[in-house]
Amino acid sequence: MIGGRRPISGRKPGDKRVRVERPHTPYFRYTGPGQLTAKAAASAPTTPSGRLFARVKALFIGRPLANEEEAGERLSKKKALAIFSSDAISSSAYATEEIILAFLLAGVGGAAFDLSIEVSIAIAVLLAIVAFSYRQVCIAYPTGGGSYSVSKANFGRLASLVAASALMIDYTLTVAVSTSSAVEQIASAVPALDPVRVQIGVIAIGIILVGNLRGVREAGSIFAIPTYLFLGSAFLMIAMGVFRIVAQGDTGPTPSPEVIKATTETAKSVGILILLRAFASGAVALTGTEAIATGVPAFQPPEPRNAARTLMTMAVILGVLFVGITFLAANFHILPIEEPKQTVIAQISRHVYGDTVGFYLFQAFTALLLFLAANTSFAAFPRLSAVLAEDGFIPRQFAFRGDRLAFSQGILLLGACAATLVVIGGGSTHALIPLYAVGVFIDFTISQAGMVRHWLSTKEQGWRYRIVINAVGCVLTAVIAIVVTTVKAPTSLVVIVLIPTLVSAMLFVRRQYDGQAEELHVRDDMVFDRTRRDQRVVIPVNGINRSVVQAVIFGRTLATDPSMLQAVFVTTDPEEANALRERWDRQLPGVPLVIVESPYRAIVGPMVTYLDVLDRAWPPDREAPTTIVVLPEYVAKHWWDRLLYNQSAKRLKAALVGREHTVIANVPYRRTGS
Amino acid sequence: MADSSAPQFRRAVIALSGGRTDRSIVALASEQARPDHAELIGVHVVEIDWTLPLDADVAGRSEDAQRVLDIAEATAEAHRYKLDTVLLQARDVGAAIVDEATERDADLIICGLPFRRRFGGDFAIGATIPYILKNAPCAVWVIREAMPEEQA
Repeated sequence: MIGGRRPISGRKPGDKRVRVERPHTPYFRYTGPGQLTAKAAASAPTTPSGRLFARVKALFIGRPLANEEEAGERLSKKKALAIFSSDAISSSAYATEEIILAFLLAGVGGAAFDLSIEVSIAIAVLLAIVAFSYRQVCIAYPTGGGSYSVSKANFGRLASLVAASALMIDYTLTVAVSTSSAVEQIASAVPALDPVRVQIGVIAIGIILVGNLRGVREAGSIFAIPTYLFLGSAFLMIAMGVFRIVAQGDTGPTPSPEVIKATTETAKSVGILILLRAFASGAVALTGTEAIATGVPAFQPPEPRNAARTLMTMAVILGVLFVGITFLAANFHILPIEEPKQTVIAQISRHVYGDTVGFYLFQAFTALLLFLAANTSFAAFPRLSAVLAEDGFIPRQFAFRGDRLAFSQGILLLGACAATLVVIGGGSTHALIPLYAVGVFIDFTISQAGMVRHWLSTKEQGWRYRIVINAVGCVLTAVIAIVVTTVKAPTSLVVIVLIPTLVSAMLFVRRQYDGQAEELHVRDDMVFDRTRRDQRVVIPVNGINRSVVQAVIFGRTLATDPSMLQAVFVTTDPEEANALRERWDRQLPGVPLVIVESPYRAIVGPMVTYLDVLDRAWPPDREAPTTIVVLPEYVAKHWWDRLLYNQSAKRLKAALVGREHTVIANVPYRRTGS
Repeated sequence: MADSSAPQFRRAVIALSGGRTDRSIVALASEQARPDHAELIGVHVVEIDWTLPLDADVAGRSEDAQRVLDIAEATAEAHRYKLDTVLLQARDVGAAIVDEATERDADLIICGLPFRRRFGGDFAIGATIPYILKNAPCAVWVIREAMPEEQA
């Protein structure tokens, strides 16, 4: 890039120097031989409206970040725990209730108190197995993608796409369910907000979406504090509750007649099927366990180890919370109350903290944590979609990072889908729950089966011990996937239909990309050292004016030889044509003008047909030429008066797009005066 | 880390040679300039021999010359500081740097001096730095830095 040079005198007569201008510096930086790196100014908008839009955008999502700032966007373990684990941890707020409801709906409410602790411990063991399995996924597949990466490496395309589809559905449902549930918690505390639950849910999703568009580190900062507040208050509640039960013999609040009636049945009548249903219902606690394995690259280095440690920390916290809350619920003899809505965890906290600020704070933290659970999906879904986009299964723009290095397209898609689900579900968690957890257990199963195969093929140190864990986990999660699907049918079947639909769509996209790549492929041995086709230049004109003259001058430089250049005037007025020819021959000699009379008043059709005729007239023994259609274009000064010009040229351009061996060249003529 | 005991300055010209010392002197200058928000000007001079006219199109076409300044600018940015850059053509590098500093009313010139000790430990100091030390209208910092083979 060459700039001007300005001589300057020095202090001494012979000490002249020349200052060399560097016109590229505001926009580019030389970073290597023949290599430039664009600065932020190079992509800054140049129009007033563009600048305004950029300012508004920056107000919401912050200034654009450069790629090299990405390392600063990596998550510490503490922030990662908040971002990736809030989904799993928040499920402790409703998993206990799901177990109790399963017993109640089976008509054996008494078993809720007798057996729910055992069921929760069994689920905690399953959680340990799944967490340990995913810990190994973090280390074996550090590029992220979780189950998708595992199944792709071990089972190939189809299984990996099933896993990816299941995950994507689950992430979307996590946002919708968690948001709805959080809004229900708020509405329970402030009943006046109940009629606008949907609106609050959609706004909450919007806020989380903007937080994520700002970038993951800031999302971590925004959302980390409430997670730890919930954990602190929940552990305090469990500690206080256990102390009261063990030391003071507290048996909970005085039960209502409904509760007494519901719990008269005893555990003796509980069959294996009911136990399985309770187990499957409580297993929603495991949702979100895979998020860390999906987002390994978001961790600070060493990524796999940090992710693995965070995952195990999350599993321990979730296990203790879940079993602890179930222990309190069983010993306090608490059942969920529908009218007015009182969740199990709310009743426990009210009993432990009393009707004090502590209770309301705990409720607020629970609601916040549920919003954070939605945020977990906002961290994981875009990363999964980016991995899928890089593999060509969804449109490639999902792999592009936005201004703040976040995968903006994935974030926007997730936000839109989840908000739609909240609207469809009327802001009710109950309406969406039957869809939930089906996908995640399918995903667990595929992932763990993939790990079994991984150990069989690699036979790394300790593979026998590891394979047993993964095999047991695989069988258990497969059984639960079947049970969850069965007990939640027919609604759950929507997911079963949706997964193959998504897989088909992804395969379709991949096929399109493969087809395009094959079409555009250039063999290594091909050398392009000369023009392979003749170039014919056709200039549609509407008279003689500066715009047309500029196009003709440009067209002359493109034609292979002068005989391959011609101007074409399509007209409905023969007299006008004759006048033009006389002037054309005088002012633009050497450029043949072809006049096409159009008695049917069409302009574009006769022009395109004329090009077809030219092609047909080309000698069949010669390779067809490239036809370059040079379009004179008058560029108006204002956006509003652009509507007045170039309409025929636009229609002609539209008609020529996709025409074989045809190139369209716009030659803009810009007004320079006021 | 800025040294609070270091002399203060408000405008410094950094002589950039395109050598190994450029990054370290820009980094140091950025840190020292920060407390007083001093202005930093990176100057790279392309020496034009007498076979060519002084205003020959040499530096503008030279990616190497552009890259010297761009890397310096990027180094300053990495230290969250702004560096203005100037590309000059001159017969004598030292004179051009002194004249540029004079014209810009700089109160400091910073130069890098790579050295090696292999053959008796003598400095290959060249002609530019002695000229600057002798003729500069302001303070001069010469930052000595061992060549890589000396660090082993």
